[in-house]
Amino acid sequence: MVWIGYAILALVLWGITGVTQKLSTNRISSERSFLWFCWAMVALSAAVLAVARPHWGLAPVVVVCSVAGGALNGLGAWTSFRALGSGGKASIVISLISLFPLLTVVLAVLLLHERLTWMQLAGAVVAITAAILLSLEPAPAKTEAKG
Amino acid sequence: MSEEGRSRRLPLWLIWSLATIVLWGTWGLVSKIASAGVDAYVNQLLFTVGIAPLLVFVAWTVGKRGKRGESAEKRERRGKGVFWAFLTGILGGVGNMAYFQAMVKGGKASVVTPVTALFPMVTVLLALVFLKERLGRVQWLGLALAFVAIYLLNA
Repeated sequence: MVWIGYAILALVLWGITGVTQKLSTNRISSERSFLWFCWAMVALSAAVLAVARPHWGLAPVVVVCSVAGGALNGLGAWTSFRALGSGGKASIVISLISLFPLLTVVLAVLLLHERLTWMQLAGAVVAITAAILLSLEPAPAKTEAKG
Repeated sequence: MSEEGRSRRLPLWLIWSLATIVLWGTWGLVSKIASAGVDAYVNQLLFTVGIAPLLVFVAWTVGKRGKRGESAEKRERRGKGVFWAFLTGILGGVGNMAYFQAMVKGGKASVVTPVTALFPMVTVLLALVFLKERLGRVQWLGLALAFVAIYLLNA
């Protein structure tokens, strides 16, 4: 069960980015913020190349999937910004986008033949529900007078 | 297709949102396939190769607009914004490596992805403590369900 430790580490780090991203987009445009996010990825990769000793000699399918992973992740971030910038209400757009793990579950079961226990299936449904609920912003404390 | 014709079918924000679901949903799948033959370090390098064309495109669009004579105050504000964006990228990148490593260590895509998708619980808790944001009842419920989900997915 070592994987759960790494999964929770990812959850914590991505959770922190929710705050740092907000601190960034409060000051600069989401496009410029995304651009510097990408430059940080490049810097991180340079550090990985300098510090770690990566093992090469990879199967073409692995290379294609890894590169596609970066493209899909980046494009997904870009389309989410476009959704927010095209008149979609943040609470609806982010709740809707939170459904993405559902597609991963479906694809993994259909294409990779992964099997889930009933507990895990219930967990996946509860997790997606939780992610949607967490993305709903609370109503403002005071209602400002109109006009 | 004209803007009017498109709005009669599906609103643009919905199309972009659905595209995001497809892109991020598929990312989990390809990550699992890749995890069978590559370590998290090499994956990070190849991941960056994948994101590079988008970086060039966004750099081009941002560069086209230019800065147009910024004041010192604006420059300082922009500097801080860049700092937080860069930190977001570093944390996000290390998070990506941890996500990938979870799959390398045998985690199923159908379990790891829902677990990591619970990251808003950390954001909400940090916003509560550091940004003094208020949580609604629905978010408290979401937080409680997130813990239940982690327990169930780890069972």
